[in-house]
Formats: sequence, structure tokens, C-alpha cells
Amino acid sequence: MIGVERVDYVRVPVTDIEEAKHFYGELLGLRLDPNSPHDDWVEYEAGNVTLAVMTPHTHDYEFEALPPATIALRVADVAAAKAKLEEAGLDVGELWDSGKCRGAGVSDPAGNRILLHHRYAPYPDGSSPR
Amino acid sequence: MNVERVDFVSFLTQDIQRAKRFYTDVLGLPIESEGESDMELTCGQVTLDIFDPSSIGQSFSPSPAGLALRVSDVDASRAELEAKGVVFDGETIETGVCKQAWFKDPDGNALMLHRRFDA
Repeated sequence: MIGVERVDYVRVPVTDIEEAKHFYGELLGLRLDPNSPHDDWVEYEAGNVTLAVMTPHTHDYEFEALPPATIALRVADVAAAKAKLEEAGLDVGELWDSGKCRGAGVSDPAGNRILLHHRYAPYPDGSSPR
Repeated sequence: MNVERVDFVSFLTQDIQRAKRFYTDVLGLPIESEGESDMELTCGQVTLDIFDPSSIGQSFSPSPAGLALRVSDVDASRAELEAKGVVFDGETIETGVCKQAWFKDPDGNALMLHRRFDA
């Protein structure tokens, strides 16, 4: 087997890097990696994994948004996070409850539908989300 | 607001059993949980969720997320996957800081074998 050690990053394609920096850095509050290399490739740390926010049109391919809920960001309180983003003027989707977790979708300026997520139910083995 | 972590990264599939064979038999990822239309796999520090959207009446589209899978040796891993029939998108790229080999899963979701030279 090839031995996958970890996910180094998840690519988040956007159309306008400044709008994206406002959304991911200021509104979501993700930490900008100080070693983020380029103006058209900006890396944010989302706890356990790096989100590489980048513009496809400067990397020789066409922009295409991520399918909905490709990235589930854990927040302590989905309702509170939704309210805070709505205060900032964002249109956040309805809060849903699956019986195991709560979620609400919000689109970044490029149209990537990000999921605000919190699992409250323990896993089948009794453990809690770590 | 405080984002604590990424709970999962999700890829869509049109054939959950085909996806299962690819991610477990070809890539060697362990299964965390599975149901009729979805499964969760351990992908290093990230949970990779594979989901059939037709099960809830939603449409399928492949992801351009380009999940960067860290491996110790991109060339050796590429050769191993090619021997299993995986077709790569072009030659392996060296960017100056890392090596990348791009490929897709059977549903067209973009992945890469990745290794930073300083990792």
C-alpha cells in the first residue's frame, strides 16, 4: 500500500483572492499560514488541515466550485456561528439537525458551499467526537 | 467565530461499492464507518466522507478539491498505483517546494500524491 500519511491540504478554488481572504480570514477567522507562498495561493489553517485557497485561472485551469458540503468546519455552536455570519451580512442556510449532528451551509464569495457542522451524538462505539 | 477543525472532507460518488474498492483496496485507507450510501475513511488526520447524493435525490458532481495525500515517495507510490490500473493526469510535477502526481478516483474526484521536500 502507498502509505497515506496525512492530507497536506485541500484545495479551495476561488475567483477573487481578496474576497476569499476576507471570507476565510476575517469572517471565518481561520489563521493565515505565515509561510503562505503566493498572492494567488493562500493557505489557511483549519485546525487539523490546511485549506489552500487559490485561483484556478492563474494556475492554468478553469474555476469550478466545490460540490456542496465538501468541507465541514466544526464549530461549537452552529446556531451561534450562523447568527454571527448573518450579522456580517452573509446568507446562511437553514439550520438542520440530523439526529446526530447539526449543520448549516454558507457560500463563500466564489460559490463554494461550506458546511458549519457540529456532531453532538457519540459514535457507535460510545466515543465522543475528538 | 472559532472554527475548531475540519470534521470531514466529502467526495460524491455514483457507485459506493466501486468507491469502496478504490479507497480501501487501491489507496489502502481504513474504513471508519459505512452505510448503504456513504462511508467514512481515515485519511491521515482527516476523515474522508464518500457519499452517494442520489440517495437523497441530489445531483452528483466530481470535486476539484485536489486532496493532497502525503506519501513518503511520490514516484514509488505512483508506480504502485499505476500497477493497479490508476491513470495519472500527466507527468509528475516538481514545483520547487514539492512533488505532485495528479490522478482521479473512479468518479472523477481530483486527488494527488504529494510530498514537500522539507516535510
